[in-house]
Amino acid sequence: METAFIIETIVKILVVLGLFSALAGFATYVERKVLAFMQRRLGPMHVGPYGILQVLADGIKLFTKEDFIPQGAVRPIFMIAPVITAATAFIAMAAIPMFPEFTIGGYTVRPIISDMNVGLLFVLGVMGIGLYGPLLAGMASGNKWSLLGAARTAIQFLSYEVVTGLSVLAPVMIVGSLSLIDFNNYQAGGVGNWLVWKQPIAFILFLIAGFAETNRTPFDLLEHEAEVISGYATEYSGMRWGLFFIGEYANMFTIGFLVSLIFLGGFNDLWFIPGAIAILLKVFFFIFLFIWARASWPHVRPDQLMWLCWKVLMPIAVVNVVITGIVMMFF
Amino acid sequence: MSEKIKITIDGKECETIAGEYVLNVARANGIFIPAICYLTNCSPTLACRLCLVEADGKQVYACNAKAKDGMSIVTITENIIKERRAIMEVYDVNHPLECGVCDQSGECELQNYTLEMKVDQQHYAIKDTYRPVKHWNFIHYDASLCIVCERCVTVCKDMIGDAALKTVPRGGDKLDKSWKEQMPKDAYAMWNKLQKSIIGAVAGEQLDCTWCGECISVCPVGALVSEDYHYTTNSWELNKIPAACAHCSAACHLYYETKHTSIENPEPKIYRVTNEFHYQPLCGAGRFGFDFENRAKRDKEAFDRAIKAFEKADTIIFDSYITNEEALILQRLKEQRGYKLINEDALRLKTFMDNYSLYSGQSLYSADVKDVHESQFVVSIGTALKSDNPRVRYAFNNAVKMNKGGGLYFHPIKDPVIESLGKTVVPVYHKPLREEAALYFILQEFGNKEKLPKYIVEYLNSLMVTKTKEEEVEVTEKVVEVVEETVVDKKTGKEKKVEKKVTKEVPKKVKKPVEYKVSALYDMLDAPEDLMDKLKKVLSKAQKFTLILGEDLYTHPRAKNLAKLAGLIDRFTDFEVMLIPPKTNSLGVALICDLDEEGGEYTIGYNAKGDFVLSALGDGDLDMPALNQQEGTFTNIDKRVVPTNVALPYEGYVLNDLAKALGVSDKEYTIEFTKELPQEKGYKPIDFDDLPNEFFNDGTEHRGYRLENKKVNLSRKNIEPIAELPEFNGTVIYRCEPVLQFSPFTNKAHQLRSKGKLYASETFLKEMDLEEGNKVNIQKDNITITTEVELDDKIGSGAYVGTFDPSIDTKSLFDGYRFTEVKLQKV
Amino acid sequence: MSGLEQFQDRNVSQNYYRVKIEPYPKTPWEKFKRVVRKSLKPDLLIGLKITLLEMLRFNIHTIQYPKEKLPVSPRFRGIHRLLRLLESGNERCIGCGLCEKICISNCIRIDTKPDENGRKIPTEYTINFGRCIFCGYCAEVCPELAIVHGQEYEYASEQRAQFAMKEDMLTPLDKLKEQKEYPGFGAPTPAADKLIKKTPLAY
Ligand code: SF4
Ligand code: SF4
Ligand code: SF4
Ligand code: SF4
Ligand code: SF4
Ligand code: FES
Repeated sequence: METAFIIETIVKILVVLGLFSALAGFATYVERKVLAFMQRRLGPMHVGPYGILQVLADGIKLFTKEDFIPQGAVRPIFMIAPVITAATAFIAMAAIPMFPEFTIGGYTVRPIISDMNVGLLFVLGVMGIGLYGPLLAGMASGNKWSLLGAARTAIQFLSYEVVTGLSVLAPVMIVGSLSLIDFNNYQAGGVGNWLVWKQPIAFILFLIAGFAETNRTPFDLLEHEAEVISGYATEYSGMRWGLFFIGEYANMFTIGFLVSLIFLGGFNDLWFIPGAIAILLKVFFFIFLFIWARASWPHVRPDQLMWLCWKVLMPIAVVNVVITGIVMMFF
Repeated sequence: MSEKIKITIDGKECETIAGEYVLNVARANGIFIPAICYLTNCSPTLACRLCLVEADGKQVYACNAKAKDGMSIVTITENIIKERRAIMEVYDVNHPLECGVCDQSGECELQNYTLEMKVDQQHYAIKDTYRPVKHWNFIHYDASLCIVCERCVTVCKDMIGDAALKTVPRGGDKLDKSWKEQMPKDAYAMWNKLQKSIIGAVAGEQLDCTWCGECISVCPVGALVSEDYHYTTNSWELNKIPAACAHCSAACHLYYETKHTSIENPEPKIYRVTNEFHYQPLCGAGRFGFDFENRAKRDKEAFDRAIKAFEKADTIIFDSYITNEEALILQRLKEQRGYKLINEDALRLKTFMDNYSLYSGQSLYSADVKDVHESQFVVSIGTALKSDNPRVRYAFNNAVKMNKGGGLYFHPIKDPVIESLGKTVVPVYHKPLREEAALYFILQEFGNKEKLPKYIVEYLNSLMVTKTKEEEVEVTEKVVEVVEETVVDKKTGKEKKVEKKVTKEVPKKVKKPVEYKVSALYDMLDAPEDLMDKLKKVLSKAQKFTLILGEDLYTHPRAKNLAKLAGLIDRFTDFEVMLIPPKTNSLGVALICDLDEEGGEYTIGYNAKGDFVLSALGDGDLDMPALNQQEGTFTNIDKRVVPTNVALPYEGYVLNDLAKALGVSDKEYTIEFTKELPQEKGYKPIDFDDLPNEFFNDGTEHRGYRLENKKVNLSRKNIEPIAELPEFNGTVIYRCEPVLQFSPFTNKAHQLRSKGKLYASETFLKEMDLEEGNKVNIQKDNITITTEVELDDKIGSGAYVGTFDPSIDTKSLFDGYRFTEVKLQKV
Repeated sequence: MSGLEQFQDRNVSQNYYRVKIEPYPKTPWEKFKRVVRKSLKPDLLIGLKITLLEMLRFNIHTIQYPKEKLPVSPRFRGIHRLLRLLESGNERCIGCGLCEKICISNCIRIDTKPDENGRKIPTEYTINFGRCIFCGYCAEVCPELAIVHGQEYEYASEQRAQFAMKEDMLTPLDKLKEQKEYPGFGAPTPAADKLIKKTPLAY
C-alpha cells in the first residue's frame, strides 16, 4: 500500500508536470493562433503544418539560448526566482482533483495528487506564494523596469488575493467544506445544481480576480511592454524566462480548474457528456476566455486596478458574504 | 599716347585712355557686354558680332570700337537684343545636342550665351555639313562643335606666334538669300561667314606648331580639347587649384584641376591645367606637363639616413626647381651649420646681375614680360627664346603683332619660328661667342652718344671701318642727236624736211665703287648692313624698347663684361633690360642664397647629383615633394614673388622636416618662412596666406608682390672692349631643351615623356651626313655619349642636346658656355 | 489576394468619421456613475463579440511575405537599374555626370573615357548604397533615362557593394527583352510629345 501510493503519487506528479508543461506550450500556440484569427491574421505558419511546430521551435530556442545574468543582479535570487513561479504553479495543482476516479486494470486511480481537506485553501495559499517569483525576480534584476514590475506584482497580487479569498468565502459557506472534491460532489445533480446560480456575484468576482492573479490582460500590469518593457522579466532570457511563462500558463489552467470545480459543476457528468470531458471543456473554455479577453480589451491603469480592487470588488465581495450569511441564517 | 579720357557706358562714367576698345573699358568697369570672339591682347576678329553696342546713336562692335572722349555707350537696345538672340540661334543651328558628353559642358560659352539670350526656339535651318574630327597630336578638334569664332586662329597668330591655324572652306550649302530679309542684319552676316568656313591647320592635314595648347584654352566650346583630357571627366567635378607653373622662370599663373583618380582609387589626380587666357597665355610644358608629382610614402629609415648624411656633409648641391622658402631653409642651413651651397645656374645669374647693377645703378633688371608686350621694339640676345622662355617669346610676338612693332633676334642658331613673326623682326645669326659684339651693337645703334661715357663712344667710333661697295649711280650724259623736222615753208606753203642737231641729257645707270662708313660690328655679327634700313619704319614710331638677355650670356666666358654692358644699355639707351632666369626659381635662389663656387668633400644633392640625394623625382635616397605638391613662392622673371599651391598631397618628408630635425627650423610649415625672405634683397614681410593670386577684370596682375628694386652705387671702372676669343672650328652643339621640355620634371609628365636625343636641323643633318634615327657618339675630351638623332624642323641650323633626360649626362659635355665643340661619330 | 486592390486605393478620406468622446468625469461621484454605466452597458461584451465574430468569419489579411509579395507602386524608388537602348542594346548612359553632380548624398561616381568610336562611355558606374537615400534625383536628372530606380526593395546583403557596381545594375544583354521602361521620376510625361518644340531642319 505504502509503496504503491508513493509510486502512484510520483507517477501522478510526473504526469501533471509533463502534461501541464506541454499544455502550457500548446496554450501559447493556441493563444497566438486565436489572437491572430481575431485580428485577421494567420499567426505562426512557417514551422510545421500551420505552424504547429512553432512551440517546439520556441522550446528549442528557449533551451539553447544563453542563460544571461546581468552584472548588477543578485545572482542566487535572480536564478531562483523563476523556479518559484513555476514550482508554486505546479504545487498548487497538487490539491486539484482534475478528473473523476477511474480504474486501470483493477486499480482505482484518483486523479488528484493529494486530497487534503483544506484543498481550496492550499491552492489559494500556494498561488499566493507565487507572488514571490516575480517580486524577487524584479528586485534581484538590478533594473528599474524590473523593480517597477516587482512593485506592481506586490500590490496587484496582494490586493486581489483579498478579492479571491472573500469571493470564494460565500461558496465555501454554502458547501461547508474546503475540499474541492466536496465542492464537486455538492454540484453533482446536473446544471441546475451548479453553484454559479447560487453565487453569480462570487463567480464573477472570482473570475476577475483570477485574471489579476494570473497576470492576464486586462490586468497584465506586471510586464506591460508599453510601460515597463517586460516588467520583472526584463532581464530574463532563455529557459529562466520560459519558467515564468510556464508558470503563467499553469496558473491559467489552475484557475480554469478552480472555477470549473467551484462554480460550474466540476467533473460531474453533463447531460450525455462524461465528467472528464465536461471539465476539460470547461477548462478550455476559460483558457479561451483568457485569450479572448486579451484580444478584445485594453488593459487598465495601475491606479484603476487598485481602485477597482479596493473600492469596488472588495466591498461587493464583503456584501456578498454578508448577504449569503444572512440568507443561510434565515432560510 | 595714353591720354586720359572719359566715356559713359550705360550711364556709368568710365575713365580710360584714348584708343582703348570699348569692350575692354566696359570689362574693366564691371559692365557686361556679351562677346565671344574677342580675346584680350589680340586683334578683334569681328566673327561673333555679339558685342554690338550703340555708341552715340550708332551701332558699333564694342570689341573693335575705340573709346573717344565723351563717348556715350548704350549696351542694350531693342534691336541689339533681337540681333543677339538671332545670333545665338544661328550658332545653335546644326550644333550637335551633345552637351551631355561634351568636355566643355558647364563652362561652355555657347551654352551660357544661349541661355543668356533666352533662346528657347529655333527659327533658322540649313543642311548640315559633314565635319570630321581631327586628331592633332595633343589636340582633339571636333569640327562639328566649332562655332568658328576664330579665337584659336587669333590667339595662335597674335599671341603665340605660330600662326598654325586658319579658316578653311567648310564646303557647306550656300545660305539662301531669302534669309536676308527674314533675319536681323548682323545675324545674317555672321551666319553667312560661319556657313563658309571651318578651322584647319595651315600645314595641311596635320597641325604643325609648338604645341602650346593655348587654342584649347581659348576655345569657347568643346571643339578644341586636349586629347588626353577628352571625355575623362566633367569639368564641374574638378577642383581648381590656383598655382604657379613650376617649369620655367615665367612661373605663369595656372590652375591645376584635380579629382579622384577613379572609382577604385580615391587619390586625387591632376586631369588638366587651365589658365586665365585673357590675361596670360601658357606654354605646352605647363599645360601638358602637369603630372610630375612624387607619390612616395613616408620612409622613416631614409629620413634617419638623411639626417646622418647631413651631419656628415659639408656641401649642398641643388638646382633651382625649388621654392623661395626652400631656398631660405637652405640658406639657414648654411648660416647655422656651415654648409657650402652650390647652384651653378643661379650663381651665374647672380654674378651677372651683380655686375649689371654696378653699371645700371639698380639691384634688379628693369623690364618684365608686360613691358615686352607693350614694346614696339624688342631685341633678344643670347637666348633660344622659344625653348628658354616661351612666355617671353609670346610677348615678343604679341608686341610685333599688336603694336606694329619689330625687333632683332641675335642668336647663333637659326629659328624659323622667330623668322615667321613678321618682316619687321630681323634675325641676326652670329657665330657663337660673339654676344659681346651684339651688346656693343645695341650701344652703337641705339645708344645716346651724347650721354654715353666718352670711352665707349670712342671705342665705338674706333670700330668704324670704311668700305667700298659697287653702287649703281645715275649719271646724266649729253647726247647729240640728229632729228628730222618737218617745216612748212612760209613762202611756198610746201612742206619740207629739215635736219637738225639737238643735244639732249639722258640719265644712265653706271656701277661705281662708293666709299661708306660702317661699324665693324656688322661683320663680327654677320649682320646684314641694311639692317637698320629695314627697321627704319618701325623704329620711327617705336616708343618703348625692351632688350631680352638670356643664359648664353651668363655662361659666356666674358659674362662679367657682358653684364656691365647690359647695365650700360639700361642706363644710356631707351631699352629696358630683361634677364631670363635660366630655371624656375633661379632668380629667387640667386637673391636668397649666399652661393659658393667650390664644393667640399661630402655633398648632399637636392634634385642634383651628390653623395646623398634628396629627390623630388623619386629616384634619390630620400623623397622630396615635387613642386605641384608644395605650397610656397617663386621669384619669377617679372621679379614678382608669386604663390603656388598644393595640387596633390604629398606623404613623405619635406626639407623643413630635415631642417627641424637638424635644429635649423622652428617652423611647422614651410610657408611660415615666406614672411622671413630677406628684405634687403627686396622681399616683403608678408604672410603666405595674405598673398593674392588672381587677375582683375581689367587685366592687372595681382599675384604675390613685386620685389623692391634697390639703388646700387655705380662703378667707375671702364668696361672692357670686345675680347678676341678663340673661334670654334669643329662641330658645335648647343645646350638647349626641345620645345615642351625644361627639366626632368617635364619629362616625367606622361604626355611629354620622351628620350633625350641630339636634335638637329636639316642643314646640320646634311652637313654631317646623318639621318633621323641614326645613333651617334658625341665625344668631348674623354666623355662619350651615345644617343639618337632627331630632326627638329623648328631650327634652321645647328644642333642641340637637352638636359631634361637624366639618363644621358649631357651636362658634362659643356663647361659653362652653352655652345661646345664636340666630335660626332655615327654608330 | 483579392483584398490587395484596396491598398491601391489611396483615397481613404471618405471612410473617416468623427469619434464622439464624452467629457471626462470630474468628481468621484461622476466617476462612479460612469463605472456603473459602463459596467451595465454591454460595452465589454460587444468587444468580445467583435473579436469572436472576426475569428469566425476568418477574413485573414496576412501576406505571407517571402512567399507572397505586394505589388509595389510603379513609382517606387528601389535599387537602381542602368538601362540599355531597346533596339541596339547599347548602354544608355553617356557619362554626362549629371547624376553624379545632383546626388545629394554624393554617392554616385562614374569613370568615363572615349571608346574606340570616339564616343564617351562610362567605364565604371557605382552608387554607394550605404549613403544613397533613394531620393530619385539621379533618375530625374538623367537625360537618357539611363539610371532609373528598380522595384527591388530587399537590400539586405553581406556586402553593400553587392548592388553597387555597374554590372549589377546594368540590364544584362540577354534580359534586354524584359527591360521595362521606368514610369517614375524623370520619365517623360504622357504629354511630352505635345509640349516639345521642334527644331526646324532643312532636310
Ligand atoms: S560645345 Fe557647348 S553647347 Fe556644344 S555640345 Fe559642347 S557644351 Fe554643349
Ligand atoms: S575651334 Fe573653338 S576657338 Fe577655334 S574657331 Fe572653333 S570654336 Fe572658335
Ligand atoms: S597649340 Fe598653340 S601653337 Fe599650336 S595651333 Fe594651338 S595655339 Fe597654335
Ligand atoms: S537616389 Fe538620390 S541619393 Fe540615391 S544615388 Fe540617386 S540622387 Fe543620390
Ligand atoms: S545622368 Fe544618366 S546619362 Fe548622365 S551619367 Fe548619369 S546615368 Fe549616365
Ligand atoms: S566680340 Fe566683338 S565681334 Fe565678337
